[in-house]
Amino acid sequence: MSNNTSLGALFKNGIFGENPVFRLALSLCPAVAVTSGVKNGFLMGIAVLFVMTMTNVTVSLLRNFINPKVRIPSYVFITATWVTVIDQVMSAYQRPVYKEMGLYIMLIVAFAIILSRAEMFASKNKLLPSFVDGVGMGLGFTLSLMLLGVFREFLGKGSLWGVHILPVKPLLIMIMPTGGFFAMGLMMGWLNWIDRRFFGGAGASSGGH
Amino acid sequence: MKDMIKITLPLVAIFVVAGIIMAVTYQHTYPVRFQAEKKEKEEALKEMAPDATDPINPAGTWTDNNKSYEYYQATSGGRPVAFIASTAGKGYSSYIQMLVSLNTDLKIKDVKILDMNETPGLGDQVLEQSFLDQFKGKSLSQIVLIKGETKENIQAVSGATYSSRGVTNGVKDAVQTLVDKYGAGVKTAAQEVTK
Repeated sequence: MSNNTSLGALFKNGIFGENPVFRLALSLCPAVAVTSGVKNGFLMGIAVLFVMTMTNVTVSLLRNFINPKVRIPSYVFITATWVTVIDQVMSAYQRPVYKEMGLYIMLIVAFAIILSRAEMFASKNKLLPSFVDGVGMGLGFTLSLMLLGVFREFLGKGSLWGVHILPVKPLLIMIMPTGGFFAMGLMMGWLNWIDRRFFGGAGASSGGH
Repeated sequence: MKDMIKITLPLVAIFVVAGIIMAVTYQHTYPVRFQAEKKEKEEALKEMAPDATDPINPAGTWTDNNKSYEYYQATSGGRPVAFIASTAGKGYSSYIQMLVSLNTDLKIKDVKILDMNETPGLGDQVLEQSFLDQFKGKSLSQIVLIKGETKENIQAVSGATYSSRGVTNGVKDAVQTLVDKYGAGVKTAAQEVTK
């Protein structure tokens, strides 16, 4: 990505062009694991949004200080620091939110998407673009998880955000891990089809973690 | 040699600074978190015995599967009104952490699930009040899990048999403990339990 790209385009890139889940195919394990409901997806996404933005900003600020030969341990440690700080502060001052989100925060240390953005973007760009990239990617991740969550929760539980809409559970398997893979594959294929059919894109083809 | 220092020094610097940041955060947040957790525990215990006016303090510990749990005697003006025990039962994918309280006639007053990690949509149906309400008013011998209609015992949630069993086993162990500890003191109720 060149440095001339406008911030607005950079922001949209995280949501559409290089959507972390459906285009970059990164961090698929959490995307399958937590999207049995819309709410879970949303909370996980917001937690990632925070950590990703903080990590991107820090890596960008330290990009001339970090020796390229030991960049990975440095990035992982920066991520771990922010995750720990957020976890500690939240568990002390935001108990109700922490009870809902606490489960997800500690998982973020090992997310491929965070390390990937630090490596691919923040280490080569200035503070402001890195910040915008973090927010955009975080939002893209959140929206993807919510989309999967809507699909799986509606079919699996007949509800949305915990509110029962259908009197029955049409397809219980969708909230099981198996259904997560189904949902992910169908959704990715569907988005690729839309992209090819209407926008002439090539679609996502590479796999991640 | 020079390369070694050039690579190592910034890395060490980052680790040290990050370590300091984490230590300072911990130091500042620990007392607040400790107080909040203590208050939450007190509130949960208070909910188990709303008629207790005195503060509820641990009366002792009991062990099950090498795990240690606490039990409490809730009093009002020095007179016992309820017996409470913390407990856990192994569900499908997690230990279901619970609080169980007994009335002074040794029948179940309330069951509350504090923490669990069962399959969303299946196992977590044991959280529903309609399942937990079945325990209320039951005595030790009635706490048996049945697959199918029952008024006398505990009816398993369909699709959540393992989780239902986890809850039932945990409750049963807790009630057994409380009956052992306090049953002798409450004679009339003890006769009914042994019957």
